[in-house]
Amino acid sequence: MPPRGMPPRPPRPRPVDPPTEVIPRVEDDYDDEYYDDDYYDDEEEKPAPPPDSVAHKTVRGIGEALITLGLVVLLFVVYEVYVTDLLSAEKQEDATAALDSEWSSNVVTPPPADPNRQSKLNLIEGKAFAKMYIPVFGNDWKFSVVEGTTDKHLEIGPGHYKDTAQPGEAGNFSIAGHRVGKGAPFNDLDLLESCNAIVVQTQTQWFVYRVLPMRNEVAGWAANPKAKEPACAGVAPLSTTLGDAYAKTVGQEIVAPSQGEVIAPIPHQVNATVPPEKQARLLTLTTCHPRFSDKQRLIVHAIETKSYPVADNFVPPEMTEG
Amino acid sequence: MYGWIWRHLPGPLFLRIIEAVVLVAGVVALLMFVVFPWAEPKLPFNNVTTE
Repeated sequence: MPPRGMPPRPPRPRPVDPPTEVIPRVEDDYDDEYYDDDYYDDEEEKPAPPPDSVAHKTVRGIGEALITLGLVVLLFVVYEVYVTDLLSAEKQEDATAALDSEWSSNVVTPPPADPNRQSKLNLIEGKAFAKMYIPVFGNDWKFSVVEGTTDKHLEIGPGHYKDTAQPGEAGNFSIAGHRVGKGAPFNDLDLLESCNAIVVQTQTQWFVYRVLPMRNEVAGWAANPKAKEPACAGVAPLSTTLGDAYAKTVGQEIVAPSQGEVIAPIPHQVNATVPPEKQARLLTLTTCHPRFSDKQRLIVHAIETKSYPVADNFVPPEMTEG
Repeated sequence: MYGWIWRHLPGPLFLRIIEAVVLVAGVVALLMFVVFPWAEPKLPFNNVTTE
């Protein structure tokens, strides 16, 4: 009820709705396709895609299979070049640890005074028996050499060809090693030059081998200033020092995989009957060539120039070359 | 193939992503540790010895 004595209020005028204002459409010149309305449409609003035909599915299936195959091949390359390195590094470490513990636990018999009468090592397949260093490849280049050259053995590290000479023995101490993957011990074998040292350590002795003069150096070796360098002491083309039987034995050669004669006691002379005391003490390294291929073999021949007995805290001076 | 697998993965989106990653990792491990070591000796480019 209104209070007494006051006239009743006139009813308030109702607000009149203004006529709807028509605003002209704003022309948006910000013409970015990302702001296209369709872009924000939810998936549900799109019409369902038509069901795939069989041909459609087949083509897509083949496409996906090919992409997958490509990825698998790429993955295999990664495996070959990197993963096998990791797996082999572990095996090499185990072999080295086993060798170290064997060397430290065994009673060392001093090497015989006469270098021609080496005490034979007891070589067991798959077990490391020597360490190998190539100073020019850096002082981190070291591998334990295992006995045997099957795939299993070469996964561990460089492998010694069975029935070839032992380190320091007359004949041909021959080692095979991978060039790609599996630790790739012989990756840079092609970079070895004449007179480069390859050091082999057994439990009792160090043997220093040096790469022989290359084929193109043989003829002019005497006049070559390199021959006068201290590193080349004891290195000369074998044909001049040991006769024609060694004419084919040079620092580096590339041969067919079937040419097993490169690891013969006198390389390339399988039927030679030279008594052991007249044979040179050689080291031969073999690996595949060219890299990533097994078409050929890269061979490096070296000759023993020095040996030292193993002693505490003694490292051959050749180890600091490079 | 991949679409089919994706559609058959259970769970919400983030779970599906985790499942997909686990699947891929499993396939890669199977290849790396079983298939490749088996296939490798059959391939020709790793011989370093002479006969």
